[in-house]
Amino acid sequence: MENTVVKIENLVKRYGELVALDHFSLEIKEGEIFGLLGPNGSGKTTTINCLLSLLSFDKGNIEIFGKKMTPVSYDIKKDIGIIMQNVVVSDELTVRENIDYFCGLYIKDKDERRKCVDDAIKFVGLEDFVKFYPKKLSGGLLRRLNIACGIAHKPKLIILDEPTVAVDPQSRNRILEGIQELNRNGATIIYTSHYMEEVEQICTRIAIMDKGRKIAEGTKDELKRMIKNTETITIEALGLEDGVVAEMRSLPHVYEVRYDGKLLIILCSGGKHNLIRALDVLQKRELGFGRVYTELPTLNEVFLEITGKALRDKEE
Amino acid sequence: MQVFKLFMKVLKKNIFTSMIYIIVFIAISIPMAKSASTEKTFKDTSLKIVVFDEDGTDASRALAGFIGKKHKLKTLENDKDTIMQALYFQSVDYVLTINEGYGEKLLSDDTSALFSTYHMHDSYATVMVSQLLDTYVSAVRAYSAGGAELTDACEMASDAVLQQAEVTIARSKGSENFSESTAAHFRYLSYILVSVIINALCPVLLKLNKKEFRFRTNCSCIKPTSYTVQLFTGSAVFIGALWLALMVVSVVQNGGMFSGIAWYAVLNTFIYTIICTAISLLICSFDPSDNVVNLLTQIIGLGSSFLCGVFIPQSMLGSGVLAAAKFLPAYWYVKVVEMLSGAEVFDGSKLAVYLLIEAGFAAALLMMSLVVNRIRYTSAAIKLPTLRKEAQQ
Repeated sequence: MENTVVKIENLVKRYGELVALDHFSLEIKEGEIFGLLGPNGSGKTTTINCLLSLLSFDKGNIEIFGKKMTPVSYDIKKDIGIIMQNVVVSDELTVRENIDYFCGLYIKDKDERRKCVDDAIKFVGLEDFVKFYPKKLSGGLLRRLNIACGIAHKPKLIILDEPTVAVDPQSRNRILEGIQELNRNGATIIYTSHYMEEVEQICTRIAIMDKGRKIAEGTKDELKRMIKNTETITIEALGLEDGVVAEMRSLPHVYEVRYDGKLLIILCSGGKHNLIRALDVLQKRELGFGRVYTELPTLNEVFLEITGKALRDKEE
Repeated sequence: MQVFKLFMKVLKKNIFTSMIYIIVFIAISIPMAKSASTEKTFKDTSLKIVVFDEDGTDASRALAGFIGKKHKLKTLENDKDTIMQALYFQSVDYVLTINEGYGEKLLSDDTSALFSTYHMHDSYATVMVSQLLDTYVSAVRAYSAGGAELTDACEMASDAVLQQAEVTIARSKGSENFSESTAAHFRYLSYILVSVIINALCPVLLKLNKKEFRFRTNCSCIKPTSYTVQLFTGSAVFIGALWLALMVVSVVQNGGMFSGIAWYAVLNTFIYTIICTAISLLICSFDPSDNVVNLLTQIIGLGSSFLCGVFIPQSMLGSGVLAAAKFLPAYWYVKVVEMLSGAEVFDGSKLAVYLLIEAGFAAALLMMSLVVNRIRYTSAAIKLPTLRKEAQQ
């Protein structure tokens, strides 16, 4: 059985009267890429700050690698890599010097450090930019430098807090591939992001938080099964009569049908042959139709259904 | 020593503008200090005077002779344009014409229109010569009234007016080890210290204490106390090196190693360096932007220098300005320098009080920066839940 890398039990964090974390529990196994999702102000960053002992908490217990995490747990901290949402590098140091600085906070031996820095530079593909200063780097390269600074000491647990914000698709893809490679090399990853497609692409298990509580947890398929909508069928069809739309509504597992004169959208909850049944209705009446496509629910839909569609403040 | 090394690298990148301050200081202060008064004895001023004698009597010749004893007599063509040109180019300071009838008028005790003059309006030479002539004529009249012959009266008046007392500039005991030029150098040093330290130290400390940077470092294996100690060590090395470098410049300016009371000036500078460091820490505790730091450098550097007598001697400042300046450490720094230079009678106990006041400023500023940091930390902790509450509403 896989070892538990992170264990959070009944974590409570209060800011005065406000409860930022409300009996929050979580368990992350070795080798997982664990996605932590939640709207702004849901408590993701507070969780990570508590996990790293940057914040004290009122109640609960945090264990990392089977040991209790405290602000002075330097034996645990040496195996944790953190990649923050904001790029935290020094503008006065070159790419190589920046990586060396952050690596040097964990590894004192010069030779070992040099090798780690070389590996990190190679890993993020910054070989051609080692002598560049951060101000000369593009947004994507900066993000890669930020990642290199966080992983150079070869941590066993890597926490990435929205590492792809304001990054172009090519750089984002490179970063995501890099995260998967780190995971393949043995690192356990905790990943927070607002980009659902990223989480869906790389995370093996996901927890959704809101108002300081964990409201759902599981693999992406398990999460998708938690919501009402399991399939969305879209059919291009002109001039359908009301009777046809009504017949569609009466089909098994269909819980909502929308028609605007051009597109027929059928929302289903469960069932295996929803598309065939819908097309049967049209063929039976000898009605023509254009393109037909069916979509499984996305993580975004899962997220919105679970957390609601009301706007949240941007302050985390 | 990762943080210490980073401190030095960041400092290296930010030191350029501070180096300009030091280079300009060396380029300006040393020649300025050298040009400062180094006279230890009084010497009478001698002017260039042209005398046209239209009277041609013994009395007028005696006057010309009297003037020649005190000032340099120059010859010039008696032509208005030539005279005006000579005055304009300052080849002569004063042109005196002894009018015809001068001797007779003196005998009849008539002092009207004795002379015609050309001179620069309101110049100190004009005042000096006018006073000299008045004194001389009054003396001649006094001797004549006393019964002396006119020629004797002129001779006696000349002797009386030309009598000089020996004048020596008084300097306090021990101040011979601290010349006026060294005093000027040490005065300017306070401006350089405050400007360079704020300008170089604040950006480094602000960068390394940036919230995200501290957070990121706190996630690592380095202990917060070790981080602070390394920052402190970096600051101390920089401040110490700067102070030593400026002392080397001072030794060069002094023309040799300090001796006697000049060591108090070195101690004074050391305490002032700590004050400047404390000012920098206080500024950093408000987390200002780079532009604000630059602005504060100018305001604090120039403001305190002008108010406290760095550029202008304290004796020339108004009592109101000096009363306000007492609340600034630069005032006490300059007081020490002035005492050492002999502008104030040297008193060891007074000097100790001045130095203690400076040390008090350093302690107070350090305490203030600690208090401000604590208040900022507490208010930030209060602000966070407020923001979160608003976010949830």
